[in-house]
Amino acid sequence: MRLIWKLLRKHISVFELAVFFVANLIGMAVILAGVQIYSDIKPMLTGEKSLIGNEYMIVTRPVERVGIGAPTFSAEDIADLEDQDFVVNLGLFAASQFEVDGSIMFNGRRLSTMMFFEAVPDSFIDVTSKDWHFEAGDKSIPIILPRNYLNLYNFGFSQTQKLPQITEDMIKRVELGIRLSGNGHRDDYVGRVVGFSDRLNTILVPMDFITWANSYYAEAKADRPTRLILEVANPGAPEVTNYLAEHGYAAEDRPAESSKALFLLKVCVAVIVGIGAIFSLLSMIILTLSIYLLLQKNITKLENLVLIGHKPSRVAMPYNLMTLILNLSILVISLAVVYIAQGKYMGYLSDIAGHSLSATPTAAVIVGILLTLVIVAFNFLIIYRKIREISKKR
Amino acid sequence: MNNITLSNVVPEIFASREDLHSDIWHTEVTLERGKRYLIEAASGTGKSSLCSYLYGQRGDYRGDILFDGENVASYSTNTWCDIRQRHISILFQDLKLFGELTALENVRIKNDITHTKDLKSIVDWFEELGIGDKLHSRIDRMSYGQQQRVALIRALCQPYSFILLDEPISHLDDKNSDIMRDIILREAAAQGAAVIATSIGKHMNIDYDKCLRL
Repeated sequence: MRLIWKLLRKHISVFELAVFFVANLIGMAVILAGVQIYSDIKPMLTGEKSLIGNEYMIVTRPVERVGIGAPTFSAEDIADLEDQDFVVNLGLFAASQFEVDGSIMFNGRRLSTMMFFEAVPDSFIDVTSKDWHFEAGDKSIPIILPRNYLNLYNFGFSQTQKLPQITEDMIKRVELGIRLSGNGHRDDYVGRVVGFSDRLNTILVPMDFITWANSYYAEAKADRPTRLILEVANPGAPEVTNYLAEHGYAAEDRPAESSKALFLLKVCVAVIVGIGAIFSLLSMIILTLSIYLLLQKNITKLENLVLIGHKPSRVAMPYNLMTLILNLSILVISLAVVYIAQGKYMGYLSDIAGHSLSATPTAAVIVGILLTLVIVAFNFLIIYRKIREISKKR
Repeated sequence: MNNITLSNVVPEIFASREDLHSDIWHTEVTLERGKRYLIEAASGTGKSSLCSYLYGQRGDYRGDILFDGENVASYSTNTWCDIRQRHISILFQDLKLFGELTALENVRIKNDITHTKDLKSIVDWFEELGIGDKLHSRIDRMSYGQQQRVALIRALCQPYSFILLDEPISHLDDKNSDIMRDIILREAAAQGAAVIATSIGKHMNIDYDKCLRL
């Protein structure tokens, strides 16, 4: 084999192979990075830890006239909704039925305001915190605020009023004075913000707290909910929009947004992978031409090798090995590139997701191996066909 | 393989010629293992074509070539490679050596696939043929006569039932020609093989079983 290689390596154009190597490396790295980014971001848009909250909708009845008592959902309305195929899960908002007075010490002054609390079942909440619990007798109430509130302050209010910006961590350290009154009771509590929700646009407290406090401070009446939270498979589905329109319900969320984001992601990835594919395709053409030229230049030697009894498959071996080594190196290097890139962007994605994401380039490895197999098989095929053609008797 | 039969074989370019008076073309002839044949031919009568047909290098002929009664027209490239490794050896008229390899490498590139001779036997042949000092010389730096001897050694490095020698001594003096003859007869006898030599005039001094005019 060493002798055959010594014979056949002549005329190998290092320049052509280098061009193929670089072009295919770029193509492969771009394709694999595209695939990996897609597989890393997709679950964030569609999975359980959904970023945009596409699978949850908050449903209300619009206020039609000014007056006491917001429009509510009856037990029949709720039962009918629960029967719908598109509803995976349904939760009721429970509101505080007592007076809530919140206060905070700010620049040495005590600012206070009337406020209210709401609660939904824990499974609908997109924040996980070990402090998210309440038992009767506790003097501390965990609170989840909408992230919008903080953004509104940081990017709106503080900018115009020349006030310092505040971070989530700063707010989590602040103690809110909470005074609850009603039903002949009046007590002080400490409120602590334990997290920020992207999904729920209200001041949330644990359901256990609302249930207990409503009975303690308000002789809890069975209250009809004004808002519902739905978990749906596909919020953009026509049956969802039709049902809401028929019953005159309004959806607070923007359900189309996630599908738009997913669509956008798919387009971006398609463009990236497309560019990578063009690179790879061009590099394959270069390699094919280079191999044809190489075989053509060595045609007499190849003919003579077969004439002294070397089988075409054996004669093809050095070239097969050469393409195999080239393609495997390309695979390894591009996977390394993807791995490094993933390490960098996963940190960024983890920040967005609010929890750490593991970086394993599984998708890139699978696609890379498959792609390399296809390219190597194609290379082997053209080499074998050309050598067979040379070996045939005239 | 015990016999080669040519049944009504004629090169395509001669197919329309009526004036062929040949012991091989357009007739039936069988070459048997163990015998010695001389094929005498004038230039342009298809001597090298015949070797190419028997070696599966070319297929531009009419009629049938049979190896042990089996028509070779259907043989695949791999079958021909088997035949070239084990049944038929050839000393090409144009030698088909690899110029950038040394003399020894040219022999080894064949022996590496057949594994029939050890290095000592090969070196002994080089000595016997008077090119012992050329083992590591590049082929393209050697004279044609020296190359002819290297090509013979390569041809001997395999098992065979028939050995085709296409003008084997065209560039050798009588002394080297006799040494080559002795080696060929010795090796062919050891293998029980047939020797088929072609010549356009000068031929090895062998007691041929049959002379065929092309």
